[in-house]
Amino acid sequence: MKKLLISTLLAGVASFGLTFAGAQAADITLHVFVGGNARPDLVTKLLSDFDAKNPGITSKIEVGGATSEQQSNYLNTVLSSQDDAIDVYLVDIVRTSENAAAGWSAPLNKYLGSDPKKFMSRYLAAYSNADVVDGKVIALPFFADAQFLYYRQDLLKKYGLTPPATWDEMIADGKKIEAGEKNPNLTTFSTAGAPIEGTVCTYLVPMWDAGSDLTVNGKLALDTAAAKKPFELFTQLKTEKAIPVNLAEIATDRIRTDFQAGNTVFAMLWVYAYNLFQTQQDSKVKGVVGVGTLPGFTAGKGYTCIGGWQVAVSSFSKHKAAAAKLAMFMASESSSKTLAVSGSLLPVFSTLYKDPDVVKANPWFAGALPVLLSSKARPVTPRYGEVSEALRTNMNAYLAGTKTADAALADMKAKLQPVFGQ
Amino acid sequence: MALSELERSERRLGYLLLLPAVLLLATIVVYPVFDLVRTSFYQLNLTTGLLHPRFTGLANYARAFADHQLLESALATILLTVISVPSALVTGLALALLADQVKGARWFVRLALLMPWMLPLVFVGLVFHWFFDYRLGIVNDILVRMGLSALQWLSSPALAFIGISLAIIWKTSAFVAMILLAGLQSIPKYLYEAAEIDGAGTLTKFRYITLPMLRPSILVALIFRTITSIQTFDIPYAMTNGGPGNSTETLAMFVRKTSIDFLDFGYGSALATLMFIGSMLATSVYLKHVQRDAPEG
Repeated sequence: MKKLLISTLLAGVASFGLTFAGAQAADITLHVFVGGNARPDLVTKLLSDFDAKNPGITSKIEVGGATSEQQSNYLNTVLSSQDDAIDVYLVDIVRTSENAAAGWSAPLNKYLGSDPKKFMSRYLAAYSNADVVDGKVIALPFFADAQFLYYRQDLLKKYGLTPPATWDEMIADGKKIEAGEKNPNLTTFSTAGAPIEGTVCTYLVPMWDAGSDLTVNGKLALDTAAAKKPFELFTQLKTEKAIPVNLAEIATDRIRTDFQAGNTVFAMLWVYAYNLFQTQQDSKVKGVVGVGTLPGFTAGKGYTCIGGWQVAVSSFSKHKAAAAKLAMFMASESSSKTLAVSGSLLPVFSTLYKDPDVVKANPWFAGALPVLLSSKARPVTPRYGEVSEALRTNMNAYLAGTKTADAALADMKAKLQPVFGQ
Repeated sequence: MALSELERSERRLGYLLLLPAVLLLATIVVYPVFDLVRTSFYQLNLTTGLLHPRFTGLANYARAFADHQLLESALATILLTVISVPSALVTGLALALLADQVKGARWFVRLALLMPWMLPLVFVGLVFHWFFDYRLGIVNDILVRMGLSALQWLSSPALAFIGISLAIIWKTSAFVAMILLAGLQSIPKYLYEAAEIDGAGTLTKFRYITLPMLRPSILVALIFRTITSIQTFDIPYAMTNGGPGNSTETLAMFVRKTSIDFLDFGYGSALATLMFIGSMLATSVYLKHVQRDAPEG
C-alpha cells in the first residue's frame, strides 16, 4: 500500500514537471527593458500588437530608470553578470560601442534577410552607422532624438520677435521679454547643468558651433580656442542673468517641468518634451510652444547633440530568434510611425518626416530632419563612460563656480588623454 | 583526556549543526570577498574587448595610490564620517534620554524613533534633495521668509556637505537612539536611588552613572555607524550625484562608478578592497576599546 502511494506520488510529480516543461517550451516569454523616458506606455502598446501577431510569444515590459545613466547602471549590472533575465533592451546611441566591445548585444545579421546592409540602409545614416560595429549589426534604431530650441511662441509674438538665430539674439530677446513680463520666476534660457549625461551636450554643442570637436583626426583637441568657447558662452549667460542661478543643479526633466510651468522662455531640450507640453494636465504652455534649431555663435550655424535609442538583443537571451523578431518589429516603419504620432518621438526613417499623419501631429518635424542630418555625434568609443564623466563633472564644476575654465579644461584633458591617447 | 563515545557523538552533532551556517556564510560572504580580492590583481575591463582577465599583480593598487580622485573621495568620506558620526551619536543620545522619560505608550515612542531608520536610504536622499531645492525647497523658503537670501545648497561644495550631513544625521540618529535606549533601560534603578541618597544631582548622575553604564552600547552604536558611514552611497548619490564636480563623491560612489560606469572591474575591485581594509582598520580601533572594557564589565 505504502509503495503504491509513493509511486503514485512520484508519477504525479513527474507528470506535473513534464507539463510544466512542456508549457514553457511552447510559450516563450520575452523580457523587454526600457527606460522611463522611452514612453513605456507606447512600448507596451507595441508589445501587445506584437504578441497578437505572434502566438506562443508573450512579451513583458520592464521599466527602468528615467535617465541614460540610471539605465546603463542597471543594464551594466545585469549584462556584465551574463544574466538571461533580459531578452531585449533599449540602449542609448552613445553606448552602442561599449555594448559591442563588452559582447553584450547579440549580432543580428542572420535575422535580417539576405542583405543586412540593405536592411540597415533604410534607416537614417547616423543610426545605421552607430548600430553596425565591424560589420556586425548589434542593434536596430528605435527612435531618433536630438536637442532643439523650445521657445514660447506667445511671448515672442507679444514682443514682435522671431526665434533667435544666435546666442546674442537669444539673450537680447530674453531681456526684452523679462522686462515686459515683470515675472520674477521667468528665466531666459535653461539647459542641463547637473552632473548628468545631458551636461556633456551643454559643453559639446557650443564647442562644435565654434568649429572644433573633442578629437580632431583621432587626437584630443582641448588646446584650441573652441574648447574654451562653451565656458565663455556660459559666463556671458551668467553675467547677463539669462540662466537660472542654480543651473549646476538642473537635470534634464527639470528643464521640462520649469518650461511647462511657464518659467522659461527658451530651453535646450530633447524631443520627448513636446508631446508632454501639449498633453500634460498641469501644462501652462499648451499650444504656445515653438520648436526650432538651436542658436549658434553666428546665424544659421546652430548645432545639436544627436541622441536616440536602439533595440538590442541580449547575448545571454535564451530565445534569441524570437527576441530578434521582436526587435525587428520594434524597429519597423509602422512602430516608428506609432511613436512619432502618439509620442512625438522622432522617426528613424527619413520617409516618415513627410508622412501626413506624422506631420499633422508634429508640425515641426518637417524642419527637424535637416537638423538631424547635419548634426554631430558625441565621441564614439567603448570607453564612453569615462568620456562622459570627464565632460559632465568638469562642466558642472565650472557652472557651480568651483572650477575656473582653465582648471576644468586641464582636468578634462588629464582624464581624456588615457582614453584617446596622445 | 579521552572523550567518551557520547561526548564524541555530541561533538559530531555540534559540527553537523554548524554546517549549514558555515556553508551559507562561505557562499555569501567568504567567496565574494575572496573573489573581490582575487579580481583586484587582474586587468578586467569590459570596454577593452578583453573578455578574459589578465594577471597584473599589484598594478591596480599602484594606480590607486597615484589616483588623486581616490584621495578626494576618501577625504569626502572621512569628512562625512567625522561630521555625521559624532553628531548622530549626540542627537541619538538626546533622543534616547527623552524617550526613556516616557512612561506610557512605549511601543509608540519606539516606533516613532525607528521611523527614519525604516525609510530606504535613497528615499531619504530624494526627500532631502527636495528640501534643499533652490527654487521649490522648504529650506530656502524659510530663509527667504526670514528676510535672508536663498542658498544654492546642492551646487556649492560646503553647503552640499552640510545638506548631505543633515540628511545622514536625521536618518541615523534614530538607529543610535534605539541602541542607546536599550542600554539606558538596562541600567539598574538602584544605582540612581543610591546616588540620590548621597545627594547627587541630575548632571552628576548622568556623568557618573548613565555615561559609564552606557559605554558598551555607545561603542556598538559607534562601530555600526562608522562602518556604514565609510560605505555612504545612497544619500549623496540621490542628493548631488557627487556634484558639484566630484566634490561630494564618496569612496563607495567612486568604486561604483569605476566598476559599473567604466566597466573596469579589476581596478574597481582594488578600490573596493582598499575600502574594505580601511573599514576594518577603523573598526579594529573600536574593538580594541571593547576588549579593554571586557574584563571590567
